[in-house]
Amino acid sequence: MADIYSIVTSQQLSYEQKVVALAHAAEDTLSVIPMPERTRYYFEKGAICNLNEGNAPYRPRYIMPDYEKAVRQGVKFLELDPPQDFDELLTFLQVLYRHVPSITTYPVFLGDLDKLIEPFITDLSDDEVKRKLRNFFIYLDRTITDSFCHANLGPEATRAGRLILDVDRELEQAVPNLTLKYDPSVTPDDFAEQAIYTSLCVANPAICNDVLNARTYDRYGISSCYNILPIAGGSYTLTRLVLPRLAALTESKEEFLTKLLPEAMQCMADYMSARIRFIVEKSGFFESHFLATEGFVERDRFVAMFGLVGLAEAANKFAPEGKKYGSDKEADEVAEQIMDAITAFVNAYECPYCEIAHHRLLLHAQVGIDTDYGITSGIRIPVGDEPESIYDHLRHSSRFHRYIPTGCSDILPFDITGKKNPAAVLDIIKGAFSLGQKYIAFYASDSDLVRITGYLVKRSEIEKWNSGKAVLQNTTQLGAPTYASAHLANRKVRGV
Amino acid sequence: MALIRKIISQSTVDGPGNRTAIFLQGCNIRCAYCHNPETQAMHDAEAKEMSVADVLAEVRKGIPFIRGITVSGGECMLQADFVTALFQAVKKLAQETGHPLTCLIDSNGTVPFYRYPELMAHCDGVMLDIKAWDSEVYHSLTAATSNETVKENFVWLLQNRKLTEVRIVCVPERVDVETILQNIAKTFDFIGEKVPVRLLRFRPHGVIGELANHPMPTDEQMAAYLSLAQALGVTAEER
Repeated sequence: MADIYSIVTSQQLSYEQKVVALAHAAEDTLSVIPMPERTRYYFEKGAICNLNEGNAPYRPRYIMPDYEKAVRQGVKFLELDPPQDFDELLTFLQVLYRHVPSITTYPVFLGDLDKLIEPFITDLSDDEVKRKLRNFFIYLDRTITDSFCHANLGPEATRAGRLILDVDRELEQAVPNLTLKYDPSVTPDDFAEQAIYTSLCVANPAICNDVLNARTYDRYGISSCYNILPIAGGSYTLTRLVLPRLAALTESKEEFLTKLLPEAMQCMADYMSARIRFIVEKSGFFESHFLATEGFVERDRFVAMFGLVGLAEAANKFAPEGKKYGSDKEADEVAEQIMDAITAFVNAYECPYCEIAHHRLLLHAQVGIDTDYGITSGIRIPVGDEPESIYDHLRHSSRFHRYIPTGCSDILPFDITGKKNPAAVLDIIKGAFSLGQKYIAFYASDSDLVRITGYLVKRSEIEKWNSGKAVLQNTTQLGAPTYASAHLANRKVRGV
Repeated sequence: MALIRKIISQSTVDGPGNRTAIFLQGCNIRCAYCHNPETQAMHDAEAKEMSVADVLAEVRKGIPFIRGITVSGGECMLQADFVTALFQAVKKLAQETGHPLTCLIDSNGTVPFYRYPELMAHCDGVMLDIKAWDSEVYHSLTAATSNETVKENFVWLLQNRKLTEVRIVCVPERVDVETILQNIAKTFDFIGEKVPVRLLRFRPHGVIGELANHPMPTDEQMAAYLSLAQALGVTAEER
């Protein structure tokens, strides 16, 4: 109750942030998900973490509505007819976004925005489109006050895509987060270079390897940080295995691989299955929410994300003294053993209601949260341990990205000279993608907007929050401590 | 073997895209504005004797992240036989790996390219410095007495479609930028071929000797050069 009182009386939370925090507090008074003793043990040790997903889930964590279908057929529950022109489309989307639930209470996925817009702008000049887009983006940034919110572009070049990039660069906002799906055989170089140039100005968009990620499901989108999920579906849950905290329970690699890891994974998978069952069987979401009843999401297109974090620290612990993940073969081999063990487990475990994933939990390189001290995101190389050569860095991540179907990424700060030669950055991306890298984000070393772990935050907003003032974006509150604790200012800047 | 000053595995300023840039030791003209004068001497303790295989091993590390290589200097054409062997080896490497690699030369144009047909067969293009049009101006900037060979190279490379770009270092009061642009435009029209022109803003940083304290061109001067180029139908870009 003390927590609730502090939420109610906080001067650092905005009104909306208080409402969300109070809802979480209310949900957590229930205990409807079974918590067997060993599961509780791993939770208490911090080795399994449910990312504050709440004790009684009443909607899937991430929802990826089929916006194209909604635009085609309208939305009965919201009394929205199919839009007939660009203004109607933007109003339609604004209203619909407002009603898409998620773990953050804000939509985490805004659709393939270029494809949604393209058919509606044929009769409008560039200036007219950009003026309307500016207002639309300002609305999104100021009302979706959480940058775990993603719109997608590409892989085809479109006029809409180019105008979206222009507006994004001019506005310099944290929302929406953008990702360009990139396929070298479809995406023309000049469009990719415009995206890269934009990213070197405003840290947005990130670039997704469309060739590899498109193999995951029939239709995929990128949501939240960099989650690869089925369109017209989503993910019920994301629970994570905190590998360094699990590794802290033993000094023996053997015991870690053969005893602790299998037991903790079993506990976590059963816990995730229980959450899935509660959402599907008890919460009533799929029976009552208009997104489900009108067919904009389908129950059998949801997956469950089996997250992992801190592979680097776990590998380093069991590697020979002084050998480091990212630069030493011995540590990388330990990391591979860990990943092989995790992969074997999820390939054998059958989870309920995950038809599109063939009833398997899907691995996700979880980015970390603000209270993770000394734990590196997912499968990334720790800040400070990056190889001297960017090529070695990217070869390394390609080797580990192959394990992860529902999202993994690397973030590289580039020297500002990259702005003058986006083609050079594109060459590097092409090379990395050809080796198996799945997703890459970058920003210029002088940019106000920075990528924390996947989401965008303004350095100027971090300073404001650190000085005790309320800020509009929820993610600034997460980003401020993470920027400091994960030493992100010390990320190796790559000269180009 | 060649004397190599340094190899930059990831360069974005030595031609299109991301390239491995190889800087050969030794130059024959000692430009007054040279910003890496340490590469001028034909021998230097800091430079390293390397074989084609040594350099190739460095190039291999860049695959598949690079679009190609650029050989620069010093003046790399003073070691043209090495460059020929390197380009042959790089083209073979590209074939073996299936990753295309272009081979570019960054040159002051004082060595005639037509004398090296085998090199030119493997070379995808030359980035040529035109430091001055007037011979006297050229002489005042460099240790060379004449720029006739540079001009002949310019025409020959253009005719043979081996010219990637022309570079002009803009030094206020010292370089006849307008005259260069006018003559380049004439040549483009005459031959019916065009390449981009890069206008490099002189920066005193790293320069030793008489231009060490010389002013940079102003934004207005650079803009005037660019608009002259445009009026002449020449595609120019500043860097």
